[in-house]
Amino acid sequence: MDPEELGLLTATLDELAHAHDGAELTKSLDEFGFPEVLAASPREAVSSLFTAMGQAGTTSSAFQAVLLASLSPANLASGNPTLVSPTTKANAPLLHGEDEAPPSVVLPPIGAATAGRVEDGVITLRGLVLGQRSNVGPFLVPADSTNGIVWVRLSGAPGDLATEQLAIRSVAGLDPALMMLEVTATGPADVVLAGPAADQAWRAVVAAGRRALAYQIVGAVTAMLDLAVAHARDRVQFGQPIGAFQAVRHRLADAYVAREGAAAALNICWQADDEELAAMLAKSLAGRAARIAATQCQQVLAGIGFTAEHPFHRYLARALVLDKLLGSATDLPAQIGARLAAAGTLPRLANL
Amino acid sequence: MTPAELRDAFRSWLAGADLDASPVQSGSVSVLLAHQRRLQRLLYDAGLMRWGWPESVGGLGGSPALRAVLGEELTSRGLVHTTTWTMLEVLGPAVIEYGQPDLVAEIFPRLLRGEETWCQGFSEPDAGSDLGSLRTTARRTGDGDSWVINGEKLWTSFAHGARRCVVLARTGPAGSGSRGISAFLVDMDTPGISARPLQTMADVDEFCATSFIDVGVPAGRLLGDVDGGWRVAGHILGCERGAIFWQRGAWLGHHLGALLPLAADARAQALVGDAFQLLWAFRTRSMATQRQIAAGAVPGAETSVDKIMIAAAEQAVFDTARELLAGAVETGDTPEAASWRREWSYSRAATIYGGTSEIQKDIVSLRLLGLPRGAA
Repeated sequence: MDPEELGLLTATLDELAHAHDGAELTKSLDEFGFPEVLAASPREAVSSLFTAMGQAGTTSSAFQAVLLASLSPANLASGNPTLVSPTTKANAPLLHGEDEAPPSVVLPPIGAATAGRVEDGVITLRGLVLGQRSNVGPFLVPADSTNGIVWVRLSGAPGDLATEQLAIRSVAGLDPALMMLEVTATGPADVVLAGPAADQAWRAVVAAGRRALAYQIVGAVTAMLDLAVAHARDRVQFGQPIGAFQAVRHRLADAYVAREGAAAALNICWQADDEELAAMLAKSLAGRAARIAATQCQQVLAGIGFTAEHPFHRYLARALVLDKLLGSATDLPAQIGARLAAAGTLPRLANL
Repeated sequence: MTPAELRDAFRSWLAGADLDASPVQSGSVSVLLAHQRRLQRLLYDAGLMRWGWPESVGGLGGSPALRAVLGEELTSRGLVHTTTWTMLEVLGPAVIEYGQPDLVAEIFPRLLRGEETWCQGFSEPDAGSDLGSLRTTARRTGDGDSWVINGEKLWTSFAHGARRCVVLARTGPAGSGSRGISAFLVDMDTPGISARPLQTMADVDEFCATSFIDVGVPAGRLLGDVDGGWRVAGHILGCERGAIFWQRGAWLGHHLGALLPLAADARAQALVGDAFQLLWAFRTRSMATQRQIAAGAVPGAETSVDKIMIAAAEQAVFDTARELLAGAVETGDTPEAASWRREWSYSRAATIYGGTSEIQKDIVSLRLLGLPRGAA
């Protein structure tokens, strides 16, 4: 993609992400042809759209499209034919039928490594769905088992449910506008993928999800920073704009530096030797930036930023909730350290 | 010569090189400098030292990124100490840019071969972060053929072993601030100069207090224009964030990598992971800066972000070392423990030297965020 095309793509996605939200944004992205752009130019598609959604404070099913695209045979070294992405409909649809809606991947609940456990053919599921196309399924569940990760399919259709209990809750929580679902179920597990391919698929989904979430977090951090910088320039106390006080502007510099670190890590993670590690680092740094920006920008925005009418709190909630999905800035450093310790050497990851 | 080709050339050279890197662990500046000189000579003879420097000064041309690559190959293996490797890079580019071409062509190959080292006379007892308030003076002699420098410099790294010094001195009236400063390339054996090492908490006698009493400097040693020293200083500070930062980041990686065998439990792994992510934030940021430099740009205020990041990474790496080495820093007296203690202690200054983190945050907030300058 040349710079002019990229500029046009970024501007278009930015406009859509600011003009629409939720199902409306999903619809306009479909009309624009986002799935095709995602398949052709994943880096440009993901970085532009998710940064824009973060800055706009919006959400869409593009997140699920990104997760499913990472499951496409072309993206899995083993070329496993049983996993099907919405952009490769020619393949035998084991995970969802031709006429069926694309499935939504169920993410582990906050603090957990997988969304469920399969034991003796029975799945116990509890997980979160972000960016679902419908509120009933079908769902793809990465679950733990005695043989490692397996993928379980839940159709979600009445009467066709392979589960004894399926409960779907619309999550309000800290960020109701994120429109997540919490899915819980117990019942016979329809395992559609197991073995090394299942593990590989899960790792690909996690890396893709972390990258997308990190871009969205960085976008939300930018929005928080923009609001706080504007306030620091305009708000006059003691006869001068508060941004002239070093104690105030150093807080904003801290948030800016943290944001730049996450953005730089994201920029490199598409060319790193170890894509999984690079995605972990980008997500962790983005979550770290979210926490720093939330604290520092909140303090600079002071009273006005604490009111419900000011938009700040929505970005704070968005960034801090997304930080917790697929590994937070609290959890990831230990995982990164464990990976480095297991390798025994510090990777350069990317070269000049 | 591409970076990848230089990496290959370096690795082939290293495989056959007779190189003892043990002096790198020494706390003695004379040992470190002797190693630096020996290594530079070997690299010069192998051609590796000359890539990325202009042919007019004895280099082989090519992108400045090649210098960053060579530095990284060396420091990431602990083959040279990051601070001695830094000196050439700090002053070299600015002297090439602003020095008299004949003089530079004559002396620069000696610098590349390790036959001489240079130092930087910027900070003063009363001019640290506020460099523009410096009080060292340079007065033109009556015939106009030379200058006389008087004043006191502080934190002049390696001044006691240096052959030349880039000195900032006031040529304008007192109170002329950054507008009345000029830069000079001064021979350290000129009568009137004395350099005395300072004792620091890091137990390294790198830093000096250097005094200039009626030091005569020929007019041809002026760098740039009279009263144009602030530009030269800006160029030098910009260079500090180029290849130097890249090899310093690799040096930090070398030390963090050495701690991996000790990262056996979740607590230790979390410390290592956190230090690595800060180092990675710096490295990915610096990669963009290196590419800008390679494309011919002189990066400005945005490199304050790089400086804040590398200082944070440096302290995180050595704080992690202090935790994981279980007492070596506090109570160990082996040479290895002493080396870690020195590096940890030195890292305390990472947020101070080269412009404090507070000055960098001011630059970020004023120049990058557009916040107003204030009275307080």
